[in-house]
Amino acid sequence: MSSSIGANCTELKARYDSCFNKWYSEKFLKGSTETECEDLLKEYKACVMTIIKEKQIDKLLAEARKESPFPSSSSTSS
Amino acid sequence: LNIPNSSICFPRHPWQNVTYAFWLRYPNPFASHVIGADVLERSVDPVTGVLRTTRLLLKSGVLPKWAPKGIVKSPETFVIEESEVDPKTHTMITRTKNLSHARVMQVEETQIVKLSPENPEWTTVRTEARVISRFGWGLTQRIERFGAKRFADNTARVRICDCSFLMFSAWPNLRYF
Repeated sequence: MSSSIGANCTELKARYDSCFNKWYSEKFLKGSTETECEDLLKEYKACVMTIIKEKQIDKLLAEARKESPFPSSSSTSS
Repeated sequence: LNIPNSSICFPRHPWQNVTYAFWLRYPNPFASHVIGADVLERSVDPVTGVLRTTRLLLKSGVLPKWAPKGIVKSPETFVIEESEVDPKTHTMITRTKNLSHARVMQVEETQIVKLSPENPEWTTVRTEARVISRFGWGLTQRIERFGAKRFADNTARVRICDCSFLMFSAWPNLRYF
């Protein structure tokens, strides 16, 4: 499993990733649209966001995400 | 100016496995330049059942010798990766572009992963990249050609792997900085 950009988020990332990988292969690919691992993702994301602010890439990121990459995309977030 | 490049690959693996491998592709010895990867957003569209993910990747890199000193502060690059997986149509689309050094060179790479029309147990992966430089001082064309060549070199390396499972390890090809 790869590291997080912030070294102190790697443990949270590992826990979330293993939950996601299991869900992706065992549920999502078999037709389920019910998400799981949401609490783990929330905790992990909060950690990553502090790193993004620290490294001052939040503005670059906001700029890049203004352009929606897929025409079908709505602005839903998890 | 914008130099389009594309390549196509036919891994002899089921689509499901190929898309699963996409999430597991780092770390690996063929992409040691990727230092970290984080999920920023992830959701399933309740109507279409499509999984959408935004990730942030951090890569290390090396500058070409002819690059002026100080052209970029640090050769580390942040890359944004947006993806959509539709399990009903067996289609995965991923788009990546660099956030850092975008004034010097912006590389946008798109990959479309579908079921092979020849064999439902195989997969088709089409890759397209655009290299754009807005940098002045007569370097723009050189930077763009450099970028396009790097893309071709990396794609060639991927082809040597014969479109096996290994090709995903070098994905995305963005090794530019």
